[in-house]
Amino acid sequence: MSSDFEPPTDPAYRPVAPSTAPAAPTAPTPALSANATLLVPLLVGGVVAVAVGVYGRLHEPSHIAVSLAGFSGPLTVKVWLTTGVLLFALVQLVSALMMYGKIPGVAAPSWTGTLHRWSGRSAFLLAVPVAIHCLYAVGLQFDEPRVIVHSLLGCFFFGAFTAKMLVLSKKGTPAWALPLLGGLVFTALVGLWLSASLWFFATQGIKF
Amino acid sequence: MRHKGPIFTLLAGLALAAVLMVLNLTATNRNRNNGDNAANAGANATATTTSELGTAPTTAPATAAPTKAPPAAQVTYAGRGSGGGATIAIAIKDGKAVAYLCDGNRAEAWLQGTASNGELKLAGSGNATLMGSYGNGVAAGAISATGKKWTFAVGTVKAPSGLYRAAANVRNARIVGGWIVLANGEQVGVLNVAGEEQPAPPLNTATNTTTVDGTVITANPVDGTGL
Repeated sequence: MSSDFEPPTDPAYRPVAPSTAPAAPTAPTPALSANATLLVPLLVGGVVAVAVGVYGRLHEPSHIAVSLAGFSGPLTVKVWLTTGVLLFALVQLVSALMMYGKIPGVAAPSWTGTLHRWSGRSAFLLAVPVAIHCLYAVGLQFDEPRVIVHSLLGCFFFGAFTAKMLVLSKKGTPAWALPLLGGLVFTALVGLWLSASLWFFATQGIKF
Repeated sequence: MRHKGPIFTLLAGLALAAVLMVLNLTATNRNRNNGDNAANAGANATATTTSELGTAPTTAPATAAPTKAPPAAQVTYAGRGSGGGATIAIAIKDGKAVAYLCDGNRAEAWLQGTASNGELKLAGSGNATLMGSYGNGVAAGAISATGKKWTFAVGTVKAPSGLYRAAANVRNARIVGGWIVLANGEQVGVLNVAGEEQPAPPLNTATNTTTVDGTVITANPVDGTGL
């Protein structure tokens, strides 16, 4: 590691500050072809996000939609379904961190992958009815900041999720693609939950 | 398997979405037909028919069959204004609009004006004004009335939800009542008895009647062309 202390010839490689931690192994520069594998998933994800938004804007809100037995109304159904999605998403986050070895001292058990897959599928299938209700009964709205944020995050969530699923099914994608997309999907979902479920609980109280 | 699984997940989500969409469309049609049956003269029944399914209504009476005359489309928007307190309804037909704002207690305002090219311009007594826009199922804007200001963004409602008005003379007192029936069936109304405002008695939306001082009076759906 003596090279750390020699003035690099290229200023672009100069460390910002001397680090006592061992230098992280530099990832091999992704080949152009690896990045190119992301093109189709990202394009399709973008199309999905835009399509969801355009439908939400063009479809005239019906203000009614199929409800679910056991709840007082469609809003409470959505609030609790989204909360369920968030719980599965937390499982997603933890299981993903385990698989990537990011939780110190925890070795991922062999079933972590299965747990990750099925919690993800459950989360997605719970999220779909919420989105359908939002789109069919309310649509994309820009009335107030909370609604704007929620509308846009909703479109982004399904686009990012689609892109992540497509990247999963491809070989030779860059190593950073999955954690990045997964992180974006998770972040969008947390934002969706905050801008809808938490808002509901805070303003209406905890209702079923 | 590993490389097909995510695709199956996406397809399963798509299939679930499709099933829910069909259920929603069916429910909307059924609800619309029920609404048409309940509508009194069908005045509000022509509001924004966006029948996505091509299936003919099976239970709708002949008089409530979807009319093919979009220029005369009547649409009513109703909902709560910003900050709660005030409820607003705007009925639009043939470029004209009537709006009603009330708190269900003692404050109310009737406004009349125009609705064209997506723009709302209404005015009422006491310098009440309403400026806003409408279209794509939402009316939004600002109201100034009874010395206060509200902003609103409200969606369309279908009969029997909507705006109702009753005007009658009961025991030599001029009575004017306004009711907004929200999409969930909740009613907000104010009754003006000889210039004094008070909470309105419940309106029976099946018969469009209410009882004031023991006298049954009839309320009419407001379509927007006038009071």
